Amino acid sequence: MAFGGEIILQPRSWQRLLRFGGYATVAALSPSSYGPAARALAVRQIYLTAWKVLPAYLAFSALLSVVIIEILRNSEIVRSAASALGRTHVDTALDLVLRVLVLELIPLSTAIFVALRSGAAIGAEVALMRVQGALEDHRERGGSPLHAELAPRIAGAALSVFSLTALSVALAMFLAYMSFFGGSSAGFDMYTRIVGHLFNGFILIGLLLKCLLFGLAVALIPLATGLEAEVGKLGTVPAAVLAGLMKLFLVIGVIEVLSLVIKYVDVVEVLSSLLKYD
Amino acid sequence: MDQKPDTSGSGVPLVPKSLGIKVGMLLAFSVTVAVALVVYVLHAGGAFEEFQRLTLVTDNAEGVAPGMDLTFAGFPIGRVRRLSLRDDGKALIHVRVAKTQVRWLRTTSKFVLEVPLVGSVKLRAFTSNLEDPQLADRAVVDVLRGDTAETVPEMVATLNNILNNVGHMTASDSSLQLSLANLRVVTERMAGKHGVLGAALGSEDNAKKMIQAIDRANALLASLGGVSQRLDSVLAKTDQRVLGPGGIVEETQKAVRQANAILGEVSANLKRVDAILTDAQAVASNAKVATADLGALRAEVEASLRKVGALIDEINRKWPFERDTTIKLP
Repeated sequence: MAFGGEIILQPRSWQRLLRFGGYATVAALSPSSYGPAARALAVRQIYLTAWKVLPAYLAFSALLSVVIIEILRNSEIVRSAASALGRTHVDTALDLVLRVLVLELIPLSTAIFVALRSGAAIGAEVALMRVQGALEDHRERGGSPLHAELAPRIAGAALSVFSLTALSVALAMFLAYMSFFGGSSAGFDMYTRIVGHLFNGFILIGLLLKCLLFGLAVALIPLATGLEAEVGKLGTVPAAVLAGLMKLFLVIGVIEVLSLVIKYVDVVEVLSSLLKYD
Repeated sequence: MDQKPDTSGSGVPLVPKSLGIKVGMLLAFSVTVAVALVVYVLHAGGAFEEFQRLTLVTDNAEGVAPGMDLTFAGFPIGRVRRLSLRDDGKALIHVRVAKTQVRWLRTTSKFVLEVPLVGSVKLRAFTSNLEDPQLADRAVVDVLRGDTAETVPEMVATLNNILNNVGHMTASDSSLQLSLANLRVVTERMAGKHGVLGAALGSEDNAKKMIQAIDRANALLASLGGVSQRLDSVLAKTDQRVLGPGGIVEETQKAVRQANAILGEVSANLKRVDAILTDAQAVASNAKVATADLGALRAEVEASLRKVGALIDEINRKWPFERDTTIKLP
């Protein structure tokens, strides 16, 4: 197991991941998992992943939002598209801003940020525990390592992703309002109408589901792959951590692409046209 | 990384209380923000509003899509929920109108599906009288379709016609071109030696002749001037002869006077003639008497003549040389 790439290519590794994911999610959701120690572990995880980076992350996402908003707001292409569609420029540009930022970029960048910030750390931590036999020690003492050690970390990472996503999405929506309407409350009705147009039930549930999947992926994959490290072999730790990150980015990419496909591609039509021409 | 793997698994609370509070605050705040966002988005989508349904019927719902606004006076008051096809082939546009906005729609409201040449389809409601009864829930109303694109073929045909006409007009043998060519010839002549005159008369020669004619007319006018001067002097002289001292008028006056004198003499003569005539009358009456005597005389003369005649006839009968007494009839 010298290379992460080898782990990725093993189907058994993915099977293990899925199995572990199922157990771990149930464990993370069951209140009985959280004794005082586990709660403390979860709090520490959230503190490290979300609280400490909150100002920096919000600054980053504000910068990203402002750049994207200004690009779309001043784009001549958007302007001419708006007039070609017979819609107002604000309608079109704001619709694009919300689609690009709130639906795609902010959740994706939050997931990647948390993955880089904590995913690697959690993977390394668990891989070391595995190498040092700490998990086995736990089991020998009659405890469950899944509940005591892993579930709090999973819950902490997932909640961090949720928290950072919620705050940066709110910030992006606020910045979008400010750059289109300034401090005036006059644009609120229009803004609400555009938001209402964009976020129908389908889109809203899709967004929430995507954020949930991002959180789970960021929390579970590095941790599960860290477990692939072999007891007593310190050399397997980097490969396990690297494999965890690679799997994580692969999964995040797949989730993002799938969400885009479901939202914007008429799958039935594409499939039928492909079948017709083959 | 900030994490210290070796501290895990000890079962001892690893974090100070303040950390827990911070994390709790962060989570509470995030949950609040997330819930607020979801509620706002649902509110924007109309999840907390009561709606009234409205079905619009049209022949052709092309371009209409779910999520489209129904606007009244430029304000969105409803939203298209779905489209369907009725058994009779009419398209149904199912619209959801918020209860708070229904008051703009009355039974007399008109709904128009506007299909502009460029841009997306627009669904509009027009209400002329807001006093009319309000539109009922689940109302089914016809939509007027104002399709700019449908008039395009007609427009293209007309345009084609116009372009053909323009083509005819600009063709090299078109009357417009010929007129322009003629105009050019005319303007060239105008710019030539004899200017506008050449253009008006068609050629340089004609223009020259015209100028000569004008010259002659000028000369004629000059001599006419001389003539009229002479006529003037003649008239002056005539005037003098006729009216001046010793003129005709004066002589005539003299003659008239003389004639008057003559007439006076004639009148005296006539009086004398009158006397003569009276005398003559007297003579005539004498003559009358004489004439009566003459009658008797004449009768005697005639009787004598007849006797002489009868004597001659006797002599002639008795005359030996003249025996022929037969009367010759002409």
